[in-house]
Amino acid sequence: MKLLLKAGRIINPVNNTDEIGDILIMDGKIAEIGPELSCEGAAVYQASGLVIAPGLIDMHVHLREPGLEAKEDIASGTRAAAAGGFTTIACMPNTKPVVDNSILVSGILQRAEDEGVVRVKVIGALSKGQEGKELAEVGDMVYAGAVAISDDGHYVDNAELLLNGLEYLARFDSPIISHAEDEALAGDGFMHEGAVSAMLGIKGRPAVAEDIAVARDILLAEYTGGSVHIAHVSSKGAVELIRQAKKRGVRVTAEVTPHHLALTDDVVATFDTATKVNPPLRSADHLEALLAGLKDGTIDAIACDHAPHAFEEKDREYRFAPSGFAGLETSLGVILTKLYHTGKFTLNEIIERMTAAPARILKLNSGKLEVGVPADLTIIDPDYEWIVDSKRFYTRGKHTPFDGMKLKGKAVATIVNGNLIMQNGEVHE
Amino acid sequence: MLTWAGIICQNGLCITPCHHGREFIYLGGMVVTKSRQVSLRNKSILGLENMTVAEMELVLDTAKEMKNIIDRDIKKVPTLRGKSIINLFFEPSTRTRTSFELAGKYLGADVVNITTSASSVVKGESLRDTLMTVEAMGVDVIVMRHQAEGAAHYAANTVSPLIINAGDGAHEHPTQGLLDMFTIKQYKGNLQGLKIAIIGDILHSRVARSNIWGLKKMGADIHIAGPQTLLPRFIEQTGIHVHNRVEDALEAADVVNVLRIQLERQKKGLFPSAREYARIFGINQVRLALAKPDALIMHPGPMNRGLEIAPDVAYSEKSAIQEQVKNGLAIRMALLFLVLMGGKNIETIA
Ligand SMILES: [Zn+2]
Repeated sequence: MKLLLKAGRIINPVNNTDEIGDILIMDGKIAEIGPELSCEGAAVYQASGLVIAPGLIDMHVHLREPGLEAKEDIASGTRAAAAGGFTTIACMPNTKPVVDNSILVSGILQRAEDEGVVRVKVIGALSKGQEGKELAEVGDMVYAGAVAISDDGHYVDNAELLLNGLEYLARFDSPIISHAEDEALAGDGFMHEGAVSAMLGIKGRPAVAEDIAVARDILLAEYTGGSVHIAHVSSKGAVELIRQAKKRGVRVTAEVTPHHLALTDDVVATFDTATKVNPPLRSADHLEALLAGLKDGTIDAIACDHAPHAFEEKDREYRFAPSGFAGLETSLGVILTKLYHTGKFTLNEIIERMTAAPARILKLNSGKLEVGVPADLTIIDPDYEWIVDSKRFYTRGKHTPFDGMKLKGKAVATIVNGNLIMQNGEVHE
Repeated sequence: MLTWAGIICQNGLCITPCHHGREFIYLGGMVVTKSRQVSLRNKSILGLENMTVAEMELVLDTAKEMKNIIDRDIKKVPTLRGKSIINLFFEPSTRTRTSFELAGKYLGADVVNITTSASSVVKGESLRDTLMTVEAMGVDVIVMRHQAEGAAHYAANTVSPLIINAGDGAHEHPTQGLLDMFTIKQYKGNLQGLKIAIIGDILHSRVARSNIWGLKKMGADIHIAGPQTLLPRFIEQTGIHVHNRVEDALEAADVVNVLRIQLERQKKGLFPSAREYARIFGINQVRLALAKPDALIMHPGPMNRGLEIAPDVAYSEKSAIQEQVKNGLAIRMALLFLVLMGGKNIETIA
């Protein structure tokens, strides 16, 4: 099986290159990169006018399997990933049962092998049952292949649990991913606290709830020397805290979602449950701080927090609807529309934050284009104009705040391990 | 913008949604009136945020006519005969429900009440299914009260009957906002430039939010006051004045609208005790002396006498609290009439 990608704009953020060339793929690996390649018997993919990037990585995905298959499963979630241009995704452990032991880690990896179409990495729970009390068998899970540890969906309210987790995991060199929002302050709110929530009468989740949580996580990482990754940063206070911590040499990394970079809290005024998410969509001042943080490297990665729900779960009163929505199939389009076509970021910067950065945080041998590495690549048409239509999603989660929105830029092919698994939006079996 | 409408009026009763009294012209049994080209026909009433000044004025003017019917010995008119209205209440409320029920009945409509205890909600039926069931029964209007903000919007997006929001969580209570406006207009003539103090638990109050949306559009100067813990943070960004000293809001106020304090807020730690609330934030004669001598006292009810409002204030000659109840009925009659009949088909008023 040989595949030759011809005349594409090859962007490789690891060595900051951006030049026209060809890539030859043989036996699932990148065999050659250079100008005017040719190879007897290779299938040719004409990539002129298109961008060839390392396969996109999303480090924050909820695949919902096991137990929550009405929302998503490994088969549907990995197809959504392929459609969105992702070759590797890391799935969160807040399933039923919670992924809190090595058998479940192995089980998900096996099922992903059998039913998935992209690479799946597993994130194990920090506490047994994600109950925030006892440390789960995190070392065993890391040995079984877990790439990070997290109680995502919940804040680790018990500071001692996080402290112990950070110290214990030092031996295993695995980061703890924190969903940082103080429960007492944010727990019963369901949108950003601001002028919009004030007039909608909806209880807010104040930005300070995130700031406090991020500050505590940073202080514990600094105290223990452990490594903490802040998921879906959404407040300007959190951005500044992370910026200062990085200057002090604290081992902290961070991610931001496309929706927090693209939308503000006034979209909630329609009471469309597709706008309900934790942490919430915030006001424009926070959005600007997130863009600045992503630009200057304070925020390392872009991750979409793909959190699909069944239609009937989201089809109800705003207050009672679950938080989160599908993101894999809109992520790249939203980012290119809002960051690249506005002139704020270069393609190289964007691709770095969607490939090399998450690979660095999770210590994956991917996110780069070089001879000998597994051939995971994404081919992007940065100028392709399209309209989001959730009915055509591969994910089961049909709610998205981007539904009907006109976007510019899309993945037109996804290659995993040398196999062309998605072309022009169609995922091949 | 003005058009002429000819109306046959046989018994001296004429309901026109849109006239000013002096614009009436009598032509031998025929009343001709000017009507504005603003209509609420087939519109759901979800909140005052979504209503224009012209629409609100149309409701207020129509309510003036409706109030005449309430004062008559035989109140029933057949205007809405054959129309059915359902009061779908997911939260108990005797006042608002009764007011809507009488409003519908005075106009000849069939009115049915469904409240939570009687409905299938307790069995875990979704709001969509409850609404679709009601829709299948062929009702024309659903008057809905629900504890979740945006529930009325959801209903309007989900089923075809017209929705009148009778309160959605802490979001809006548009008929209360309109009746408060109507009451202020009745005593003060107009709303433009009036200093209106809204006192108490603004944070959890749909009444406050509908008042703010409506009165702001009408050009009033709005001041809210109460314990800081019961004032929504960032609400000053909407262009109203926020005070944590009640006295500052009362200073030279034309209208004092006192909101109900729910004692469960104290348990959540939002204020220390009922006693302290009454002492520091309650409206009594001493504090009221700061307002204009002819200040109007309002309260959406039900009152906690001695807590947010002293009895001698509630029953003083400045109090419009009883009048608010009557006006509420007139406003709800006007709204039902306007959304169902839109000011056309006036000949059906025999
Ligand atoms: Zn999370």
